[in-house]
Amino acid sequence: MRVLNIVAIFLGLASAFLLYGLNYDTRMIEGRLQTREREAERARADIAVLRAERAHLARPERIEPIARGMGLEPLAARHLLPGPTVAASDITTSSTGP
Amino acid sequence: MRAHISMTATDARGERSAAPRSRSRALALGVAFAFAAVGGQLVRLAIQHEGSGGIRVSMMSSSSSTLARPDIVDRNGRLLATDVQMPSLYADPTLIQDADEAAERLTRLFPGTDVRALRRSLTDKTKRFVWIRRGLSPGMAQRVHNLGVPGLMFVDEIRRTYPGGRLGGHILGRVDIDNRGTSGIERHIDETGASEPAHGARLSARAPVRLSLDLSVMHALDDELKRAMDRYEAPGAAALVMDVRTGEVVAAVSRPGADPAAAEEALDPQRIDKVAAGTYELGSIVKLVTVALALETGKTLDSLVDTTEPLKAGRFTIEDLHPLGRPMSVAEVFLHSSNVGAGQLALSAGPEAQTALFEKLGLWSPVKTEVSPGPAPLKPAQIGRIEQITLAFGHGLAVTPLQFAAASAALVNGGTAVVPTFLVRDGEAGAGPGPRVVSARTSALLREVMRRNVTDASGTGRRADVAGFEVGGKTGTAEMAVQGGYRKKAVIASFVGTFPASDPRYVTLVVLFEPKGQESTGGEITAGRNAAPTTARIIERIAPLLGVVAKASS
Repeated sequence: MRVLNIVAIFLGLASAFLLYGLNYDTRMIEGRLQTREREAERARADIAVLRAERAHLARPERIEPIARGMGLEPLAARHLLPGPTVAASDITTSSTGP
Repeated sequence: MRAHISMTATDARGERSAAPRSRSRALALGVAFAFAAVGGQLVRLAIQHEGSGGIRVSMMSSSSSTLARPDIVDRNGRLLATDVQMPSLYADPTLIQDADEAAERLTRLFPGTDVRALRRSLTDKTKRFVWIRRGLSPGMAQRVHNLGVPGLMFVDEIRRTYPGGRLGGHILGRVDIDNRGTSGIERHIDETGASEPAHGARLSARAPVRLSLDLSVMHALDDELKRAMDRYEAPGAAALVMDVRTGEVVAAVSRPGADPAAAEEALDPQRIDKVAAGTYELGSIVKLVTVALALETGKTLDSLVDTTEPLKAGRFTIEDLHPLGRPMSVAEVFLHSSNVGAGQLALSAGPEAQTALFEKLGLWSPVKTEVSPGPAPLKPAQIGRIEQITLAFGHGLAVTPLQFAAASAALVNGGTAVVPTFLVRDGEAGAGPGPRVVSARTSALLREVMRRNVTDASGTGRRADVAGFEVGGKTGTAEMAVQGGYRKKAVIASFVGTFPASDPRYVTLVVLFEPKGQESTGGEITAGRNAAPTTARIIERIAPLLGVVAKASS
């Protein structure tokens, strides 16, 4: 009976320590998790700002004059050769080519 | 525990009867149970996940009622609207030591602030929270921080930003100070439950809302309208491009535009959305419907119509601008835009057939889109002879350009109704063609006559031609309706176009408000001289963007 009591007390104490340790670890991990989550949140907020800025910089009204300045223009009918000629010559060069 | 139990046992005056023993056992059981409960609670607290209950007091949740909204992107995924975190400034008046000083310093940073109101709110010690200014730039927040005034604090809030500025502003709509949608797509997002309360300024993780708009086409349209307004001295203009099969609005621009971020622009009547919110008498482009009506009631493009005499209805006389003095074919009525001919066609079809076609085309009742519930069309209360005639050439019926574009799409796409939408339609096949409005034959003949109106030397739309893209269309020049009549010399010039006419993929509708006569237009203000060439410029620019390849042979 006495041995049993001692063992019980010992087990009780041990489990109390274990519980305390577990609790402490959990809190630590929770804290770290929160830090990480905050970092992720901040990164997400930064990404949102950067994406908005990129979209602002890439807006067509800004890009168009730059593109035109580089000599680019919308594709028009005059840029195209008559279809069949191009297709036929393409086929001959590719089939007879090395 | 043991000691306690043994004490109760010896207290029982040595009598070792059955009763105290059972009592002590019950007590032991009770104490054990209590310990188990405490232990269980400890374990629960230890393993419980953060945030799932318990007491977490957050100032944010009590002060912030903002919504986190999903991004809005165009059909190619380009960003049109997004949420960003911005600091908002508030004050705790109980912590403010010198309210006068604080108010003065703040007004120096934020010019235009009402100093007295600010001072009053800062001295109100009954409150612990007053907003000073919401949505500050990081730089501004730093400057406020540098003031070093105790009691001024920041909280991160979600703010909506529109990287494209005014482009697409009418469609996107607006949000209020709490990031709630008040108009346009923003409102649609809230109504469909795509936004959610923002806990602690957390950005929405939901999938973006994908619109049917193409940002590049939007810009081309906007740019060409701006040029047209300068060229023809028009104070306003609107245009849209719609997919004839799906009803998707690929681009819609109304000028002057409205910046979604500038609240005051929402109230400016000049900046009303002329595509989906304003209704206008569009004039002769409605002859598209009248000719469809004639073709549906058994006529062909060669059927003759009596246009020798002006049409009389009560005290009104309807005349043509350039009467030919002979009967015209149905095609000629379209090409010469004859009011008399159109009136005759409507009269021979009868009022029931006429209104039925308007109804089927969605021109008789409001057309609801994601952007707005759609204003009710202005239409005659009853259809008599004069109403039949005026409706035939587009007077007496005011609809939104969006509505008319959808009707035109149905007329040229083979004859099936389309529902205009600003959201991308995924899986076109799933939607399938809408209910039939006109026969495939009628639709084919309309395409033919629209194309002829652009290719014929006498066609009113010849200036809309673009080499290689087979443009077809119809001009409309309507006198502007004002209280009690019409204004001469002030017109709404419009052009409804489609390309490629042999197998249309898109309809375009260009509307110019009050264009002035120019040297380049020979002093004229008719749509053939302004809206038609504007359409040509637009199609030339947008067709390659939309993947419509020019045919070099034509």
